[in-house]
Amino acid sequence: MTGAALTPAVAAMWLFGTFFVLMALRVPVAFALGLACLPVLFIEPRLSPMVIFNTTFKAYNSFILLAVPFFLLTANLMNVGGITDRLVTLSRTMVGNFPGALAQINVLLSVFFAGISGSSTADAASQGKIFIEAQVKEGYDLSFSIAITAVSAVLAVIIPPSILMVVWGGVLQVSIGALYLAGVIPGLLIGLAQMATVHVYAVKRGYPTYPRATLRQFFRAAAISIPALFTPFIIVGGILLGWFTATESAAVAVLYAAVLSTFFYRELNRAKLWQALLDTGKLSAIALFCVGTASVFGWLLAYFQIPKALLENVTSWGLGSIGVGFFIVVVFMVVGCFLDAIPAIIIVGTVLQPLSASVGMHPVSFAIISIVALAFGLVTPPYGLCLMISCAIAKVPLRYALKDTMIMLVPMLLVLAAMIVWPQIPLILPELIRPDYLK
Amino acid sequence: MRRFIDGYARLLNVLLGWSVAILVVPVTMQMLARQTGLIPSWIWTEEMARFFFIWMVMLGAMVGVREGTHFDVDLWPPLAPRANALLRVVSMVFVLVFALVFVWYGYKFTQFGWNQTSELADLPMAWIFAAWPMTGVTWLLFGFTRLRADLRIFIDGPGPGSGVETHKEIATGSVV
Repeated sequence: MTGAALTPAVAAMWLFGTFFVLMALRVPVAFALGLACLPVLFIEPRLSPMVIFNTTFKAYNSFILLAVPFFLLTANLMNVGGITDRLVTLSRTMVGNFPGALAQINVLLSVFFAGISGSSTADAASQGKIFIEAQVKEGYDLSFSIAITAVSAVLAVIIPPSILMVVWGGVLQVSIGALYLAGVIPGLLIGLAQMATVHVYAVKRGYPTYPRATLRQFFRAAAISIPALFTPFIIVGGILLGWFTATESAAVAVLYAAVLSTFFYRELNRAKLWQALLDTGKLSAIALFCVGTASVFGWLLAYFQIPKALLENVTSWGLGSIGVGFFIVVVFMVVGCFLDAIPAIIIVGTVLQPLSASVGMHPVSFAIISIVALAFGLVTPPYGLCLMISCAIAKVPLRYALKDTMIMLVPMLLVLAAMIVWPQIPLILPELIRPDYLK
Repeated sequence: MRRFIDGYARLLNVLLGWSVAILVVPVTMQMLARQTGLIPSWIWTEEMARFFFIWMVMLGAMVGVREGTHFDVDLWPPLAPRANALLRVVSMVFVLVFALVFVWYGYKFTQFGWNQTSELADLPMAWIFAAWPMTGVTWLLFGFTRLRADLRIFIDGPGPGSGVETHKEIATGSVV
C-alpha cells in the first residue's frame, strides 16, 4: 500500500474535486463516483481502469446484498397484495380515538410496516398515496401531512429488518442479528417521539379524531392482520435461532408475503406480481449499481490512505467518546444530504470505524447511531429521498414542507442524542437475548 | 432504428423482471436443502444466485439510463427548458464517457475471463464479465437517443415536435 505516487492530499483533491464538479453538473451520483476515479487511475502508474471492473465485480458478487431486492420485493408485494390495507384498519382501531387520529395511524402503520419491510422509500411511496390526500380532506394542513409521512417512513430502516443494517453488517463485519435486535428500542422510541409530536400539533391545531373503536373491532382487525404482523418474528427469529442467514431470511419474507397475499388476502394476481417484480428490479438495480462505483471510490480512498490522514486530524482534537459520537452523527447527516445511504456506509462508515474504535465505542452502538443519522438524512434536502417522494406525491416543491419536517426532526434528534450519551440503549435487547452476538 | 431500440428496451425489461423472480429460487433451494433434506444441498445454488444478481444489477443499470432514473442531486434553481436541456446534454456526455470506459476496458475484462472458470459450477467467467461491456454498449445506444432529443430541445426550443418528455420521475434512485 505504501509507495503510491500521489500523496493522500493530492489524491483526495482529485477524487473529491472531480466528484463534486460532476455532481454539480447533475451527473447521476453512480456515474459521478465512477468517473471521479478515472483521473487517479490514469495518473497513478501502478493502477489502471481495470480496478473499476475488479472492484465492482467483487461488490456485486455478494450474497449479502441479495437481501436488498428481496426486501424491496416484500414491500411491493405487501402493497399490491392488500396487506397494507389490513394494517391500516388495525392501526385505526388502536389509535383512532387520539387527537390527530389519521396522522397517528400514519405513524403506527410505519412502525408495523418497518417490521415487515426494510425500505423507507417504499414506505414513503405507499403511505404518501394512502395518507396525504386523505389527511388534507379531513382538514389537516398539507405541509404537516407531507412531513409526518416522510419522517415516519424513516422508521423502516431503523426497526428490523433493514436494508441499511444488512449492508452495514456485510461491509463492516458486524453481526446482522445483533444490529436487528439493537434497532428495535431506538426505532420504537423514535416512533413514540413522532406520536408525541403529532399529539402536540393536533391539540394546537384542532385536528380531528375518530370515535373510539370497540374492543371487538380491535380483536377482529388484529386477527386479520396477525399473519402479516408475524413476519418480523419469522425474519428476526429465524436468524436468532440460526435457521437462516440474513439473505435467506429476506427470501423467506418474499415467499411469506407472496403466499399471504395470494392465498390468505387473495389480492395478488399475475399482472400485479409482474409489476412488483419489475419495480423491484429497476429500483434495486439502480441503487446497487451505485454500490459498485462507490466501492471503487472507497477502495481508492483506502489505497491512498486518505482515511488515515483525515483521522490523524480528528484524533488531534482529543474528543471523548460522547464528542466522537456527535462528530460521527454530524458527518453522517451532512454526507446523507448529498449521498445515498448505501454508498455513504461504504465510503464513510469504513473511514470512521477506526475513530469509533479508538474511543472504545461498541461496534453495534457505532452502527446504530450511524444508521439512525443516515435515516434522518432521508428527510433532509437536497437529497432527502423520503421527503422528495412525499412532496412529489403531493405535487409541491420540496421547500413547501421543509419547516414542519424540521420541527418534527427536533424530538427525533433528541432521541438520537440520548443514544449517544447513553450508548447502552441500543445494546439492551441484544444483551438480553443474544449476548454472544456482541462479542 | 427507433423501433429496434424500443424493442431492445422491452427485452431488457422482461429479462430484468425474470432475473428478480429467478433469484428467489436458488436461495430457497439452499434453505430447503439445509432444513429439510428434501433436496440434496447442491453447492452451486449460492453461486447461481450471485451470478443472476450481477446480471440483474447490470440490466437495471442499463434500463436506468433509458428511463433517466439514475439518481442525481439537483442543486440548481428552477431552469428554463432550454437551459435545462443543455445541462442534461452536458451530464449525458459524461455518462457516455463512462459508457466508453465500460466498452473498452470491459472488453479486455471479458477476454481475461475466458481463461477463468467459476469456483463452484465451473462456468466460464466470461459469461459474467460480458455484462460490463454489454452495459457500456447499451448505455451508448440509450444515451445517444436521449442526447439527440435534448440537443433538439436546446437548439429548437421545447415544442410539440421535440418528441421527448422533459419531466423526470422523481426519487427512484434508492431502495433505502
